Amino acid sequence: MKKINLILQRFWQIIPVLLGISIITFLLAHSIPGDPVRLILGPRAPQDVIDAVRQQYGLDEPVLTQYFIYLRNLVRGDWGQSIAFKTPVLELVLLRFTPTLYLLIGGLVFSIIPTLVLSILGSANPDGWLDQTIRVFYTVGLGLPSYWLALVLVLIFAIRSGWLPATGFGNNIKEHISHMILPWATVSMAMTPILTRNLRATLMEKQDADFVIAGLSKGLPRYYIFWRHILPNSVLPSLHLLGVIVLYILGSSIVIEPIFAIPGLGQLYIRSVIGRDYYVIQAMTLVFSLITVTATLAVDVLTLIIDPRIK
Amino acid sequence: MNKTLRAFKQAWLFGLVLVLLITACGPAATQAPEQTQAPPATEEMVATEEPAVTEAPPATEEAPVATEEEEETVIRIATPNTVSTLDPIKSAAAGDIQVFGQLYSRLLKATPDGSELLPGLAERWEQSEDQTVWTFYLRDGLKFSDGIPLTAEDVVFSFLRLRDHEGSVYSGPFQPIKDVEALDEKTVRFTLDGPAAPFFGSVEMFNAGIVPKHAVEEMGEEEFAKMPVVSGPYMVREWLPNDRLIMERNPYYWREGYPKIDVVEFIEVPNDNTRVSMISTGEIDVAVSVPWANIEELDQRDDIDVPLDPSTVIEVVLLNHKDPMLSDVRVRKAIAMALDVDNITKTVTFGKATRANSPLPNSLLYYDPDLPAIPYDPDQAKQLLEEAGAMGKKLELMMVSGSAITEQIHLLMQNQLTAVGFEVTIKQVDLGTWWDLLVGGEYQAAASWWYNETPDPDLAVRWALCGTCGSDSFYTFYVNEEIDRLADEAVKEVDPQKRAELYHRIQQIALDEVAQIPLYYPPYTNAYSTAIQGLMMNPAIQWSLEEATITR
Repeated sequence: MKKINLILQRFWQIIPVLLGISIITFLLAHSIPGDPVRLILGPRAPQDVIDAVRQQYGLDEPVLTQYFIYLRNLVRGDWGQSIAFKTPVLELVLLRFTPTLYLLIGGLVFSIIPTLVLSILGSANPDGWLDQTIRVFYTVGLGLPSYWLALVLVLIFAIRSGWLPATGFGNNIKEHISHMILPWATVSMAMTPILTRNLRATLMEKQDADFVIAGLSKGLPRYYIFWRHILPNSVLPSLHLLGVIVLYILGSSIVIEPIFAIPGLGQLYIRSVIGRDYYVIQAMTLVFSLITVTATLAVDVLTLIIDPRIK
Repeated sequence: MNKTLRAFKQAWLFGLVLVLLITACGPAATQAPEQTQAPPATEEMVATEEPAVTEAPPATEEAPVATEEEEETVIRIATPNTVSTLDPIKSAAAGDIQVFGQLYSRLLKATPDGSELLPGLAERWEQSEDQTVWTFYLRDGLKFSDGIPLTAEDVVFSFLRLRDHEGSVYSGPFQPIKDVEALDEKTVRFTLDGPAAPFFGSVEMFNAGIVPKHAVEEMGEEEFAKMPVVSGPYMVREWLPNDRLIMERNPYYWREGYPKIDVVEFIEVPNDNTRVSMISTGEIDVAVSVPWANIEELDQRDDIDVPLDPSTVIEVVLLNHKDPMLSDVRVRKAIAMALDVDNITKTVTFGKATRANSPLPNSLLYYDPDLPAIPYDPDQAKQLLEEAGAMGKKLELMMVSGSAITEQIHLLMQNQLTAVGFEVTIKQVDLGTWWDLLVGGEYQAAASWWYNETPDPDLAVRWALCGTCGSDSFYTFYVNEEIDRLADEAVKEVDPQKRAELYHRIQQIALDEVAQIPLYYPPYTNAYSTAIQGLMMNPAIQWSLEEATITR
């Protein structure tokens, strides 16, 4: 009973969080200088045409009024109109959702698995040569900027050797995967170092925990203690990082997608900020927050369910 | 612990060396995506030393009207510009201009290099003695892409819309039209307010494409702008905003046997490096606007060509005449003389652009090639500054962040201006903010560019040098009533020699008064696969796609 209550509590907390993010984004976007209409119509557009179009979009109303109109429409399912493309924002978002989803899921998978492998290998023989190599790897990895790394990968694997496509998303699942390999590699090389460092440290720490000594004194073999006790206890705290990881991958999609010409949400996001496409900015922020919050919530729920300490 | 530390250090050193080696084989790139709206080339990037191994396989989709066996020819063009609407009057941004010419036919048709105007939808025309009445005779059998006949009514509808619609972004050139009427199904008569020399050319402009009255009225403006019924060589197959526009041949296009290529894909790729990668691997056939630094290396390849076709772009330094220090012509002259424009041009464009002498682009009619440019004379500059009491004063350069080229120009300027005695700072802002500050006159100096959509100089002068024409002389707030007067006279003057004289005077005055400081005339830096024949972009940003062929 208590568990369900806790879960529900977390669920209701989402709404004020999203609302807060929404209003802050709206105010921020409208407070920076820059006129989206001028940027869209081109430099030679006369002022009166710009003014007419601004009026059409209600851009001359006070900011709070605009926000309430936006909110009211949102509740009805209308996410607003893109000033740049004159199409409903929801359409744009749905069109571009899939590539970013591929990036996110692939990025997660290809970060988590190497992390597990490397941390386990490393902590198995602490300070052994394997462990040393792994530690060098993640220290160097922490320092490499992912943007530069992406370009180097494209240079080596696409341009020089032609093994993989340099850009785009492809037209069917097989092509999607081959086009996403380099972007996934980029995300993985950015995330794995941090995660490995954390997990490895936690694993090492747990080696000296009470339950380990208890287990040993009971006569349990080392590997059993490791897989059955140490690992689950170390992974759980790391799981909380999942929300952060998801947010990080989404954030880096803003840089990665333009480089690889992937028509996803990240590219749309950066374009809309530079072009001051207000409703698209709102929508993107909402989508990214929703994904992050959902991931965090899922992890919290999962933890609550798994953790036998809470009844 | 010592052993670990040592091992760590060794490994770290090894890793560092490895990283440096990788870097040495291809210099690292250093910048963020570019956000421009027009052709001019931008940044530097990772150089490749060996040609790519692959070339993309030809497309094998089935043509919608053809038999199962036929393969479609496809050409893929990567452009930094975005397509925001498919309604020809609703935008004057470069990405849209490129596309309108493919979707809509006009009364006249320019040759691929833009130098001549030939019959288009109109097979012949007449003008009255005083050039105020123009009559165009349409060809037989014209149809829109939905099969419905194209008549004089549609022409009238299109031009009235162009002139009067409140959403018509570039209606200026069409205001001199007093009346336009359909005399019969195939005849259209324009009556102008007075003789207007640019009129004939403006009939061929990018937004003067003929749209179907029945479709616009039935579908409504919004729907039409997304999936229009068209009159040009290509029609819309699919439009994914902010991603790509796919066009296919229009079976009802008036020109028999054209277009030659079945499908055209405009793919939006804002990142310069990415476009260069894409053409290097053969993923695309044309890369619009490659960085200056990449031209040599791409051109040297057997499978890529960078012809550097002429554009109407001009790179200039804008000076705010509202600023008290800059309102003094001596200070402006000093700035102009302090800049080593030849050096800036060679450095930034690797010698591929021509140094500018006149405030008008060199591919416009009546551009004056003999006008002596302001010389590089730092000593004279210092003298002028002393005289004007501006020695040692602060000067702020405002630039749009995200472009290595813009940064380079501003840094060179900073260097040269500091050498004559200014205290120069550079302010970086993003595009939206830059425009706001520019239009509001809240800046001192900024290097920028502009281009003209037609070879006729009237609009160029009104945009860049006229203080009372709505653009405040490209927001330099320069006002010289004589130039305004000359511009009005020149637009009505039909004798070419007299017109030339008028524009010569305009350029001379603007140069003497240092309205802006012209830097250079950059050509287009489009890269084409050598598998393509007959494709170029003319100075009015129009592709000759219908004439182009691909042999794979």
